Amino acid sequence: MNDFAFLLSLTLKSSMAVLLAAQGEVLSERAGVINLGQEGMMLMGAFIGYLVGYLTGNAALAFAAAGLVGSLLALLHGFFAIRLGANQLLSGIALSILGAGLANFMGRGFIGKPGLRVGEWPIPVLSDLPMVGKAVFGQNALVYVAVLVTVAMWFALSRTRWGLTVRACGENPTAADAMGAPVIRTRFTAVALGGFLSGMAGAYLSLVFTPGWKEGISAGQGWIAVAIVIFSGWRPLGALAGSLFFGFLSALQFFSQATGNNVVPLYILRILPYVLTILTLSFAAALGRRGRAPAGLGKPFFREH
Amino acid sequence: MSRRFLSVLCCLAILAVLPGTAMAAKLKVAFALVGTVNDQGWNYAHYVGIEKLKKQFGDQIEVSYTENVGAADAERVFRQYAQDGYKLIFGTTFEHMDPMLQVAKDFPDVSFEHCSGYKTAPNMGNYMARIEQGEYLVGYMAGLMGYTKVGTVATNPIPEPIRGINAFTHGLMRGLDESGTKYDPATLNTVVWLKSWRDPIGETAMSEALVQRGSTLIRQMADTPDASLAACAKGVPAIGYGADAVEFGAKCVLVSTIWNWGVYYEKAVKAKLDGTWKPQEWYAGFDQDALRLSAFNEKVPAPVREKVLAEMEKMKKGVDDSFLGPMTDQEGKVMIPAGQRATDKELYTMRWLSKGVNGKLPE
Repeated sequence: MNDFAFLLSLTLKSSMAVLLAAQGEVLSERAGVINLGQEGMMLMGAFIGYLVGYLTGNAALAFAAAGLVGSLLALLHGFFAIRLGANQLLSGIALSILGAGLANFMGRGFIGKPGLRVGEWPIPVLSDLPMVGKAVFGQNALVYVAVLVTVAMWFALSRTRWGLTVRACGENPTAADAMGAPVIRTRFTAVALGGFLSGMAGAYLSLVFTPGWKEGISAGQGWIAVAIVIFSGWRPLGALAGSLFFGFLSALQFFSQATGNNVVPLYILRILPYVLTILTLSFAAALGRRGRAPAGLGKPFFREH
Repeated sequence: MSRRFLSVLCCLAILAVLPGTAMAAKLKVAFALVGTVNDQGWNYAHYVGIEKLKKQFGDQIEVSYTENVGAADAERVFRQYAQDGYKLIFGTTFEHMDPMLQVAKDFPDVSFEHCSGYKTAPNMGNYMARIEQGEYLVGYMAGLMGYTKVGTVATNPIPEPIRGINAFTHGLMRGLDESGTKYDPATLNTVVWLKSWRDPIGETAMSEALVQRGSTLIRQMADTPDASLAACAKGVPAIGYGADAVEFGAKCVLVSTIWNWGVYYEKAVKAKLDGTWKPQEWYAGFDQDALRLSAFNEKVPAPVREKVLAEMEKMKKGVDDSFLGPMTDQEGKVMIPAGQRATDKELYTMRWLSKGVNGKLPE
């Protein structure tokens, strides 16, 4: 594999966790619910995924369990944010803290125990292509899953009736309700599915990227996923681009050191993803992205009596 | 709340307080740790020392520790321990040094011990193990085995890892010379920096990147063994750091250096119990059992093991060649003249990289 192909491969590998989480957040926010609990759901997903993998040795089961725990946590957020109409930002941040604390607490006894390692899953023929074959088609299975999820998300949101309902609930829940759409149920479904993806994103880290359970394994990627959603203008394909950009920046800082050509100073490269996250979040309004945010985002819906 | 419930609660409260008063005569010893005790490296090694203390002194002492004490929390934690009657307090990471100095001023009757720093006070000493001795030995081993392309996943660019890298490279070149292996100093030991003591994602990615760039042996230096684990998964051997990485599943690890802090903890507690505690700058290696090597992997040939162990025996007797000149920096400037050894001061403040190291100190 030459350097370019390796950089490409590392970029893909580094972007998948944020990509999955970002797709989950896109879905949730398009339905009108901000979920800042990404970091907590990812950490719990990472731990449960690791745990089930460690106990059963079955990767599919591990990812399913991680997704389910992500859904459960998301439903908890949903209960406060949708059912009780609580402040979504506060409830989400509380979820991040809860998930991180719970995962660290339950995971204490498991640090250092080698778990399941999900390896590469090359696609026949395609992975033998020259240049980029191995880098793109010689990846682990989750990379393909994440890309499929992206396409499915794009299709579901923009081309299906269900997607239209989700968007209606996010833009104008009162109108959606008047048209007979089940606003509360749709929002709960979107939040739960989003949580499922975040849980899987966490499991990607603990089963594929750096197998094993460690405290704080997600290292802020949940927050980056939230920023990417804003950066992408709440679009699945935009989130793919944003995630790849994040992955490229992380890959570049590993790679430039290993090759010894520090074109950009290392300190700058290391903080770049976080700086860009902050900038995106701070200037989201000024950039004019706000116009594209679902109009009903963050507003609880109650049917008027 | 019923009256019976209240009375039970009172009894429980009294029971909880009683042992506390009874134990007032015990020496209370406290540790502040920068991570968690099961981090599989640095903090785990300190924890092993703490457990040894408990076993050794049993009822004579009461030991407490606090995890995840970063620079910002350190002063609060030390002060709390001092106020709660702890008489011997250990800070176990470099960043604990200045906060500890602050608290030490306010509690002259409490003894403070700081690991890996350089500041002392009338009631504050410091201690450190000469990890460079272990580094030199495992580098020597790698050289004897003919590894000419090593990738090092280094942590923070401060003197401790720097002297480790230099000693490793020094040993590596000696081993290569003795085994008659030709090598190019410009690409011998490629060093990349995590800028962190632990960062599992970075450790994994850097290790894989080094293997991809042609490294045939990975030198792990982080608190966690992920660099070694990643190397194993890519079919490349590794060397563990600070604790036996094989215990944590890195089966391809040829050998690990192991911190043995218990030796010093026993010494300090004993002195405090005897009333002879004095601040000192304790800086010991194999000579005082402050360091150990793990068992060798079966892939390490017997003659290599013998040579490495013979060198270790020399160190146990106090002959430390880990910084025996001539040693030059990357530009070829002589840093340690032939036949001389680096002084402790030079080791503590080392800011240059040896010939054979490929990589720069990030500024």
